[in-house]
Amino acid sequence: MNKTLLGYVPKESPIYEVHPFVKLFFLLVVSLFPLFVAAPEWNFALLVFLLALMFVCRIDMRTLRIYVPVAISMGTIILLSYTILGGRHAEFQVIATLLGFPIYWERLRDALVVYFRILPMIATMVFFLSTSRERDVIVAMRSIKLPFVVTYVFAMALRSAGMVLEDFHIVRQAEQARGFDTTGKSLAYKIRKYVMYMIPLFALSLRRAEEFTNALVARGYSFTGKAAQVKRADYILTHYSYKIHDYIFIILIASAFILLVYLSLGLGYFDLEKSLFIQWLHQLVS
Amino acid sequence: MATAVKKTDLTAEEIWTVQPGERRSVGVIHIVVLALLIGIGFVVGAFGSISFPLGFGVNFFWTGIAVQQVGAVWFGGWGVLAGAIFPFFSNAIAGTPFYVSLAYVPANAVQAFLPAWAFRRFKADPRLKSGRDYLILFIAMVVSSAFGALWSPLVVLRGFGLLTTESLPLFIWGWFGGNVVAGVVFNFILLKALSAVVIRTPAFVKRWWS
Repeated sequence: MNKTLLGYVPKESPIYEVHPFVKLFFLLVVSLFPLFVAAPEWNFALLVFLLALMFVCRIDMRTLRIYVPVAISMGTIILLSYTILGGRHAEFQVIATLLGFPIYWERLRDALVVYFRILPMIATMVFFLSTSRERDVIVAMRSIKLPFVVTYVFAMALRSAGMVLEDFHIVRQAEQARGFDTTGKSLAYKIRKYVMYMIPLFALSLRRAEEFTNALVARGYSFTGKAAQVKRADYILTHYSYKIHDYIFIILIASAFILLVYLSLGLGYFDLEKSLFIQWLHQLVS
Repeated sequence: MATAVKKTDLTAEEIWTVQPGERRSVGVIHIVVLALLIGIGFVVGAFGSISFPLGFGVNFFWTGIAVQQVGAVWFGGWGVLAGAIFPFFSNAIAGTPFYVSLAYVPANAVQAFLPAWAFRRFKADPRLKSGRDYLILFIAMVVSSAFGALWSPLVVLRGFGLLTTESLPLFIWGWFGGNVVAGVVFNFILLKALSAVVIRTPAFVKRWWS
């Protein structure tokens, strides 16, 4: 199994046949797709496609469970903000009244449009995080010739996030061993006591900063001055090369985006007026 | 002995002023601190983003503000950089779309920058020795969070067409309250507890980069 930023993926997953840059390119471009699509059924289709892609890439779908509360709370907030908090508009069509608040068709429609825009954007991010290892992100960044210091900081940040998480568990266990228990306590109490984790976490990180620095200096690393100008051999990149299918994927993703923009802005293909789902829903609630 | 103890007890003015003969330059440690701050912010910020979500990366109680503001006070530009970058990761883990997180960068940068600037400009003591230090931190927290709260829902979320005009106050107050309350809970205690140690480390930044 390969440990990714969000979970584990089998080494045999087809995603590892793809160059890491392709995954980054997919994230950057496909995240834009929903912004050009208003019709919810198309965004839903994109969501289904992304979920299918996760399945094909053998991502453990149980990791997606943490996003269920996010999707529900976001959906609820969007619905509330568009309906109950949406204000009063004489020009809109009232389809129901809830606790004295008029529920307008236009607001309900807009809430659905926004929600179905957000879901595939989240899924794209989850797909990237679920399939990318720390090394993949670094390789992708180095492939686009970002300066060494940028990729190094990025790599160190990703690594240190794992260390901080580990430190967090150690601190928590140490405090539990001393009898600290928040079970059954109020949320306010838990929040207040969270600082008991923050202070040791910061203190540990400061100590680590010095250890890291000593290790780097001892190995001759320098980010300024003449030593920083020496061209470095990039051993990681030698393990990754673009294959024909990588170029095909890049061309496919870019072409899909150009086609989408043309269909959306040029022909109005994904407009709400042409949405079969919206037409059906309008008939249903009217 | 008493004189020696008194001498080592730096004043707020001395903390921020480069002393004659003192050499300060950007070093590897600052790069490491930047990376570590991003790492801490990633974990701590994700906790707030997942536990108290309001939606689109806006939270009722955002713990990441402590890393953003305290880090910037101690480590100047490095803390500001980390404060602008780490929410990008913590929001991503919490399910905020890529481009929405990207558009939050200016708000997060200002939220980190203002307390750091206020402490340096007004020579406030990061160990919070007087009421003036507390007041400067509190005002900087409030003003910076107000900017973030206005920028993100008004510019970003309206720009992406994710919010109605009527629902903006909920997100503005959500962002503002979520940051200020978390800041009040964590920033004062962190600065009070750790500043005395941090200001004596080589990682501490007196000016903006060293």
